[in-house]
Amino acid sequence: MLLEIISPDKSLYSGEILSIRVPGSKGSFEILKNHAPIISTLEKGMINIREKNGNKTSIEVNGGVIEAKNNKIIVLAENAK
Amino acid sequence: MANLKEIRVRRESVASTRQITSAMKMVAAAKLKKAQNAIVQLRPYAEKMQEILGSLSGSIRTDKGNLYAQDRDEENILLVLITSNRGLCGAFNSNAIKAAIQGALDTYSYQMMAGQVHFVAIGKKGNDFLKRNGYNVIYNVSDIFDDLTFERSTLIAEMIMKYYVDGDYDHVDIVYNQFRNAATQILTTEQFLPIRMDELANENEVPVNVDYIFEPTKDYILQEMIPRSLKMQFYKTILDSYASEHGARMTAMHKATDNATELLKDLALEYNKARQAAITNEIIEIVGGAEALNG
Repeated sequence: MLLEIISPDKSLYSGEILSIRVPGSKGSFEILKNHAPIISTLEKGMINIREKNGNKTSIEVNGGVIEAKNNKIIVLAENAK
Repeated sequence: MANLKEIRVRRESVASTRQITSAMKMVAAAKLKKAQNAIVQLRPYAEKMQEILGSLSGSIRTDKGNLYAQDRDEENILLVLITSNRGLCGAFNSNAIKAAIQGALDTYSYQMMAGQVHFVAIGKKGNDFLKRNGYNVIYNVSDIFDDLTFERSTLIAEMIMKYYVDGDYDHVDIVYNQFRNAATQILTTEQFLPIRMDELANENEVPVNVDYIFEPTKDYILQEMIPRSLKMQFYKTILDSYASEHGARMTAMHKATDNATELLKDLALEYNKARQAAITNEIIEIVGGAEALNG
């Protein structure tokens, strides 16, 4: 899956990943390969990413929105540091 | 004809001015590049946001009474005037100031008379003018351009949005120079609040053929997205103005440098003429003196 995390200032992450766990407004959830198309808002919290080579990365966001379709995930994050 | 020394002094001063204007042009060009990069950086974010809003356009149409789209009687007006901190950029600042004042007088003449039009001044030039002329400036920032980030612009945007939601102001307009290219700025007055929901829906209308799951609900997402989109719009406005400023300065300094070059050419010609005249004079004097001795 291709993941892109972008904030208005800059691109925070871009790359191939295996899975991503995000702090959704309705609760934390994970997106794996071939997930159905989804749009969800995010709360303040951590995004945990499992990269293709097995490495784990996490990025803190201050809310945002995620869109996933056709194995392409885009996170619009605000104020992420 | 002016004497040699006068012309020489004038030439030196024009040459040094030319050096300054050409240096300023280079600096403006570099800063313009930086500002343009920031605009380019924002683009994918803005586009994605539009796309998501597009897939929500159905909800936008049915959403009545959104916090940011209340149609109230326009009693208290807030005008946001974006200018630059420094001058020497042609008519950049004076155009924006003029448009803000003229717009206020034309559109809100009644509120102006009642003293219910207030200003937020971003940039020193606009603030100075408004204060000097006795307009009511409720808030001003000038250091935002030193370090232009989304975070800092968001603080101002949030403040303005709060004013609107709390009912302190019923209508917010932004007056700024929209960036087209380095030589062209388009003076724009944009309605910031309330949001016109119909327009928002029409602008973002895209055929959506993906069957999305919306978490938690379409409406909730919309409520979350609207303030985000407002903050982004505000940031974009400031970026635009910033890029326009440097574009305007670059053009102004380019013209100044050209004029100085032209002036130097004329002065050089004049100097040589004066020099030649002086030499001719001297020869005439020597010849005249020699003839007097021989005679």
